[in-house]
Amino acid sequence: MKDIVFTVKRQRTELIVFGVCLLVSFLMNVYAIVTFNTEWKELYTQLLWVLAIAVFLYAVSVGIRLIYTGVRSVLKSNKK
Amino acid sequence: METTEIGRRDFLKTVGALGSSGLLLTAFPWLQSFAADNQKALKGEKAKLAIIGTGSRGMYHINNLLNTRQADIVALCDIYKPHLDQAAALCPKAKKYSDYREVLASPDVQGIIIACPLHEHAPIAIAGMKAGKHVFSEKSMARTLDQCKEMYDVYKQTGQVLYIGQQRLFDKKYIKALEMVHNGTIGEVVGLRNFWFRNNDWRRPVPEPSLERQINWRLYKEYSGGLMTELATHQLQIGTWALKSIPDYIMGSGDITFWKDGREVYDNVNVIYHYPNGVKMTFESIISNKKYGMDEQILGHKGTLELAKGKYFFEEVKPAPGIQQLINQIEHKVFDQVSFAGPSWVPETASEDNGEFIVDKVKTHDGSNTTGAAGDGSEELVASFCDSVITGKPIPVLVEEAYYSSVLALLGLKAMEERSIIEFPEEYKIPYLNHA
Repeated sequence: MKDIVFTVKRQRTELIVFGVCLLVSFLMNVYAIVTFNTEWKELYTQLLWVLAIAVFLYAVSVGIRLIYTGVRSVLKSNKK
Repeated sequence: METTEIGRRDFLKTVGALGSSGLLLTAFPWLQSFAADNQKALKGEKAKLAIIGTGSRGMYHINNLLNTRQADIVALCDIYKPHLDQAAALCPKAKKYSDYREVLASPDVQGIIIACPLHEHAPIAIAGMKAGKHVFSEKSMARTLDQCKEMYDVYKQTGQVLYIGQQRLFDKKYIKALEMVHNGTIGEVVGLRNFWFRNNDWRRPVPEPSLERQINWRLYKEYSGGLMTELATHQLQIGTWALKSIPDYIMGSGDITFWKDGREVYDNVNVIYHYPNGVKMTFESIISNKKYGMDEQILGHKGTLELAKGKYFFEEVKPAPGIQQLINQIEHKVFDQVSFAGPSWVPETASEDNGEFIVDKVKTHDGSNTTGAAGDGSEELVASFCDSVITGKPIPVLVEEAYYSSVLALLGLKAMEERSIIEFPEEYKIPYLNHA
């Protein structure tokens, strides 16, 4: 069985991607508070939702990147 | 066991969300006997009481009075010996009577508590007040409209204390709820709904046929107005209390639809009370289906009160947090592909909102107990009566509220019996609320 190597560079990349997802999710919360005219305390009371959305976005990004990598490797092997 | 005394000490405190007990007593003046000054003045004094009618409700009062420090039961009276003996076992020092007139002649008795069948309320209460006794009578006030009026007039002429068993006036959750009505929390009152559903025949076992009418007096018109005088009087009082007004006309329909067992009173009634501002109060009672139980509901344009459940509900529920609304909106945009009707199609079944409790540690009962329930204000009511017997001062508003609730019940009954719309008769109006 082959070992899966999770390099430091990869870890850093994933952390940056998750950070971006978290930021997008946080900005969505700000947008929602302004749009629906709700209370600003939701910036911290709704953190669980923000985290859940960030995880969802991260999962979507992982899916997209996996598909991209898969398609690319298939194309590469066809060229050879 | 917690005594009534302890409950009374805290009564105003637990009810008092009006800012101060002064404001509370202004809004609910019949609670004045619970004020600290009054309690101090009464310390150590006892009201010498006679219980006339020692059946189930009489026994309920006796049990409450035995826990009331300022009550001294000195006499018991009943024409039915088994009931009298049962009461005497709890009050061995009390003198036993079988004729209420002897009780009224006794100088040892300061106040009488009448828990007899309805048709006897007025004769005993009137004779009691004229004999210089203070009187507590169970609800309804009397069997007929004329008797109600006579009882009220004698009360005003003699200046004696008169209490009627409208215990909701002393129930914390009702007091708080009515405060919410009067301070506008639920907005403008647009409707009142009262209902009382049971599934039992209302009969009591009779040891011998000759006692049928005496024991099952509630089933015969000569003694009772049936569901209207036995149940509706409690609930109709909420209309007068909430709207501070009396109806201008009344209509209704009543029948014996299920318990066709020789009874004379309706087992299925539906009455509408129309108020001058257009608001209607309804009373509905069926005693062959208990699914919806009992309650009094006050409907405002901003909220609803369910008094017996001790709950309130607002029309506009607090919106969900913005982020949840945003997700909901996205979800609808993605998945709601097919639209097949406008917003008017949305079903309008009852809201699933659980509401909020009107008071903490709310005590509720389902109305199935025909004798009385813990925490329904009955203990405070008899305790307050004891205080009034000691001071000899009539209590404001209580008699007037009870009078109108009894009159409304009897007018509802009249409307059903005559199958007509009845204007509130001028001769039964008293100087209270919207009538000088």
